[in-house]
Amino acid sequence: MKAFLWFVCASILMVGCTGIEEVKPWEKEVLAKDIMQFEGLHPEVKKFEQHIYFSKEASRGGYGVSGGGCGCN
Amino acid sequence: MQLKKTIYLSTITAAILTSSFLHAENYVSVEYLQYDESDDRVTVTAPMLSVSYDFNADYNLKASIMYDGVSGATPSYMTNEDGDLFKGLQDFEDDRTAASLLLTTRFENRDELYTGIDFSREEDYQSLTGSVEYMHYLDATHNTAVNVGLSIAYNEILVYDGDTGASAYDGDSGASHTEDSMNYYLQGGITQVLTKDSSVKVAAFIGSDDGYLTNPHGRIVRDYPTQDAILDVENRPDNRLMYGFTLKYNKMLTENISYIGAYRLYADDWDIMSHTIDNDIYIKLTEQFTLGVGLRYYTQSQAEFYHEEIDYFTDEKYASSDERLSDFDAFTYKVNIDFKQNDTFSYNIGAEYYDTSTVTELSATILTLGMKYKF
Repeated sequence: MKAFLWFVCASILMVGCTGIEEVKPWEKEVLAKDIMQFEGLHPEVKKFEQHIYFSKEASRGGYGVSGGGCGCN
Repeated sequence: MQLKKTIYLSTITAAILTSSFLHAENYVSVEYLQYDESDDRVTVTAPMLSVSYDFNADYNLKASIMYDGVSGATPSYMTNEDGDLFKGLQDFEDDRTAASLLLTTRFENRDELYTGIDFSREEDYQSLTGSVEYMHYLDATHNTAVNVGLSIAYNEILVYDGDTGASAYDGDSGASHTEDSMNYYLQGGITQVLTKDSSVKVAAFIGSDDGYLTNPHGRIVRDYPTQDAILDVENRPDNRLMYGFTLKYNKMLTENISYIGAYRLYADDWDIMSHTIDNDIYIKLTEQFTLGVGLRYYTQSQAEFYHEEIDYFTDEKYASSDERLSDFDAFTYKVNIDFKQNDTFSYNIGAEYYDTSTVTELSATILTLGMKYKF
């Protein structure tokens, strides 16, 4: 719980400090880089990681609507 | 002048297309994944083949197929040759084949529709999932996008409740009957560009599982240590309502270093609540080499019907000793290297260590090896 509160506070602080700018389409070169994608540099590996976590932990969801089931849980 | 204007407009158009949240490119990738638990428990080898193809600027199809070969042993209550009850490691072997298709349709205003189908099959389980998701840009500059998606899954499970001894746990045959379950899942969110080098994505989700949610191989002990002590199949409620939210944030820290962070809150009506914090940093060492390091922290509370003790259960309707429903924490430490040979070929190698505080102190290593061909 403590870790969660720290994370939320840090996130709010980070986003708050950053603010929101109007970014023009031609200014999005950095955002389009592969190392900036939310799914990471290797989405296939992320998919496998989620499969492992699904089979070893009791939580799921929050990472998109697509994805198959598994009898491992 | 006209040429200059045309070039300028073309540059803007290209920038809009490349700034879309989905990367448009054709590729074939092969990944080999190896998962090994400590104490010679479960081992998984999983090759995966993925293909992404843009038919034109409006349609993209992604397809993947994955095979899991699973073998080893998992903790479970059982009886020994003298009929004594104890917790040991139950051998098992299984394989799983999973395939998925995802069609992306881009409209004139560059909104996107994702339509997916997933299928997976194991010896004692099969699942079919259909999903649809729509993403809509709220502004002309594509700085704000909202998305909403829905998935429905149908699962069929082979159940072994005729014999609760060790011999029934071979996953091959001897099932007494089949059961089924449905999963319904709804997610909605918003993605917001914050600056030229940072953005945030927030999503809320709600889901419902209905039907047979019990682990047919899970065992509990009732009435221990009396003479009536028996080994019984665990029993979970026939429905579960879950909900939560995720918050993702990315930021280019320097010219060559990016940070991607994520937090997920999950809760359900089995009394399980979890927090997941994921942090990844990518460092572009050279034009060819990229180093990735990551740390994930996970913590969950236990399900209301979970108890580890052999002498706890008597006549409770819902009962499970599956440690995945227990109260535990887990850390994952990640490192990977990506080597870009040229614009066509790239390779990746990674290692992860997963460490939990479950009763049996599960830990595992995950090794990944992959190659991507872009065309």
